[in-house]
Amino acid sequence: MDFELSEMQQMVVDSAQRFVAAETGLDHWRARRNLENGVDPALWIKVVELGWLALAIPEDAGGLSGSMEDVALLMIELGKGLVTEPLVSSGVLAAYVLDRTLIGEARETWLDKILLGEARVALAISDPDAASGAVAPLFFRPDGDGFVLDGCKCTVFDAPSADTLLVVASAGNERALFLVDAAQQGIEAKAYPLVDGTRAADIVFANVGLPAGALLARGDAAAEVIDAAIDRARLALVAQAVGAMEAAIAITAQYAKDRRQFGQPIGKFQAIQHMAADMFVAAYQARSALYAALRDVEGNADARARAVAVAKVVSGLAGQTVSRNGIQIHGGYGLTDEYAISHYYRRLLVLEKQYGSIDMHGAALAQIEARD
Amino acid sequence: MSVKFQFDENEALFRQMVRARITEILPADIQDRQRRTLHNSTDLADQRRWLAALDGQGWSVPAWPVEYGGTGWSPLQRFIFEDEMYAADAPEFNWIGSHMVGPVLIAFGSDAQRERFLPPIRSGKEVWAQGFSEPGSGSDLASLRTQARREGDRYIVNGSKIWTSGAFEADWLFCLAKTDIQGKPQRSVSCLMIDLKTPGITVRRIEQINGEAHLCQVFFDDVEVPVEHLVGEEGGGWSYAKYLLDHERTTSSFIFWIKRELARTRELGRTVLYNGRPIIADPHWSYRLAIAAAEITAHEWSVLRVLSNEPSTFPISAGASVLKVKGSEIQQTITGLQVDLLGERALRDFGSEHLPPSDDPNWPDVVQGRTSRAMMARASTIYGGSLQIQKNLLAKLALGL
Repeated sequence: MDFELSEMQQMVVDSAQRFVAAETGLDHWRARRNLENGVDPALWIKVVELGWLALAIPEDAGGLSGSMEDVALLMIELGKGLVTEPLVSSGVLAAYVLDRTLIGEARETWLDKILLGEARVALAISDPDAASGAVAPLFFRPDGDGFVLDGCKCTVFDAPSADTLLVVASAGNERALFLVDAAQQGIEAKAYPLVDGTRAADIVFANVGLPAGALLARGDAAAEVIDAAIDRARLALVAQAVGAMEAAIAITAQYAKDRRQFGQPIGKFQAIQHMAADMFVAAYQARSALYAALRDVEGNADARARAVAVAKVVSGLAGQTVSRNGIQIHGGYGLTDEYAISHYYRRLLVLEKQYGSIDMHGAALAQIEARD
Repeated sequence: MSVKFQFDENEALFRQMVRARITEILPADIQDRQRRTLHNSTDLADQRRWLAALDGQGWSVPAWPVEYGGTGWSPLQRFIFEDEMYAADAPEFNWIGSHMVGPVLIAFGSDAQRERFLPPIRSGKEVWAQGFSEPGSGSDLASLRTQARREGDRYIVNGSKIWTSGAFEADWLFCLAKTDIQGKPQRSVSCLMIDLKTPGITVRRIEQINGEAHLCQVFFDDVEVPVEHLVGEEGGGWSYAKYLLDHERTTSSFIFWIKRELARTRELGRTVLYNGRPIIADPHWSYRLAIAAAEITAHEWSVLRVLSNEPSTFPISAGASVLKVKGSEIQQTITGLQVDLLGERALRDFGSEHLPPSDDPNWPDVVQGRTSRAMMARASTIYGGSLQIQKNLLAKLALGL
């Protein structure tokens, strides 16, 4: 175990801190709601130039072969500034999938496009959950040499700014993973904003024909690569949550020093101090859970899944404590768009739910407890 | 160097080595009593035997400098060793001796004191109790009133200490007393080592909520203490106590104790039936256990972070307070969960018995005594700086409030 930053890690952290200082803040967060697809093209170019998309891509494909520790350190810093450019969807999740499922020139071409920011890839995995059953989930079926996709995927994170989709579809009990051009005929995306200013879409596939080469993996191989990729994305998001919590705590502590009632700063009241201390303890615990998961993320699939679920649960609970106490200490101002804490609250809510909430991961861990 | 969170192969080998050796030297009868004990406190005879066995191995005071009988292990190796000690159901250290008196004497004591007191701590021949709190001085320890008046080559001690765990059977008391009744506490409190057999000392055992009487109150009535038993300098007591806080940052996490209780909770989940199946097959109970276990995993890594002196923007003592807050909360959560899992079966009163009174199959060992521990776990947010004191500290240290 080692807590010393390597030269590369220090560079990544420094660049992220400079970026957060220069490019984020209330005005930025409020303006990004007006962007067409959630991504500011000028900012995306900066992100690409900083090399962050190359971090998790192997050296033989032109990347930096960074570890998940490297990715987490970057994400903690970006989380502090509520950076929501789709780095995780493309640079962590899709990069992992394409590295593991493509070979030769196709692999190099796609990883190159990702690290240059020329391709933005979103993962379409969640099926519709309307109890009416009126919306069909996504199925695939063979068609000649290729396949046909038919049905719907919901809440595809970062889809409105993506040009490419990783699509998980099923046929009976089998799942398969496809690489699909988002602009292809028959695909209709209904885009919407999320509470934190990022974007998602529900996507209808109306008998979309795909060539044989669009199939990346199927069966157990597909399940394995999808699970591993999403676990890495989860950890990157947990790291962002850790950063967001630490920033929210600093903002709240400053507010408690500035805001005066009854003739003194409210931070002098023990009731406020203890709420703030609870926030600090929670965030500390979340960072520890992240470290624990980083230990196991390259291990066997069971250990990895358990450790990532633990990190999601602990960071989710911590995020609730931090964001809820943060608003409470801010009083009425905490509920306004003009105060940063409300933006942290909204981002932490998204990070808690994305790729499985406290309750879903808690239930998964409960099943392990019941089984072992 | 780079930020990495893997245990390396040497650490795994070290774990294997200590596990094997503990299995070899831990007497089976002691282990059996430890497993089946209904209460918190370790049988003193067992503790002495175990410390002697560890001493034979050179392992009874792992953190001390090698020249005083320590191991020279790294903080992480000591962590692994303690983890294995608890996992094997070995008795605990005599914390006051090995983790307070030892380090303070090594840092501030005289050569004569080190020669006199360290060896019997190492071997378990002398065990220590801690005399800090007083009936009128709990969280506000600085207001303590026990007085040590200098008369020639001795101090005359008068006053009273409370919550002195095990004082009725301990040999020595590590005691804070005022040597200057006018001065500020930071310069008027001294640290004395008091032989508990000295005339004028009365020890009253305090009957506890769980039927045990391990906590004590100690009364001093003109008790004579030789000046050679003053630690360091007169008036230095406060700074020595602070030194200990800075050097014992992870003990209050109770991480190993918690992990052992987690294992017991899992065992209970398989032992107790609910609707004809092990209760842990029910999602309500498995969910509660899963959330507790997740918090424990994170807590363990918090301990590792503090042990490794992770660089941070806040003082490291804030990390120690986090360990105390979270550790005490989890002790209560996990033992509370045991009581809840048992439901009505948790209600039986075992009184002051230390071992299960029967081998009735209706009452497996793991079922008995859980409530006693859960009740005493309420103390974890009270002693050693209460939860509220820790939060005050955190607000100041970590957040500048």
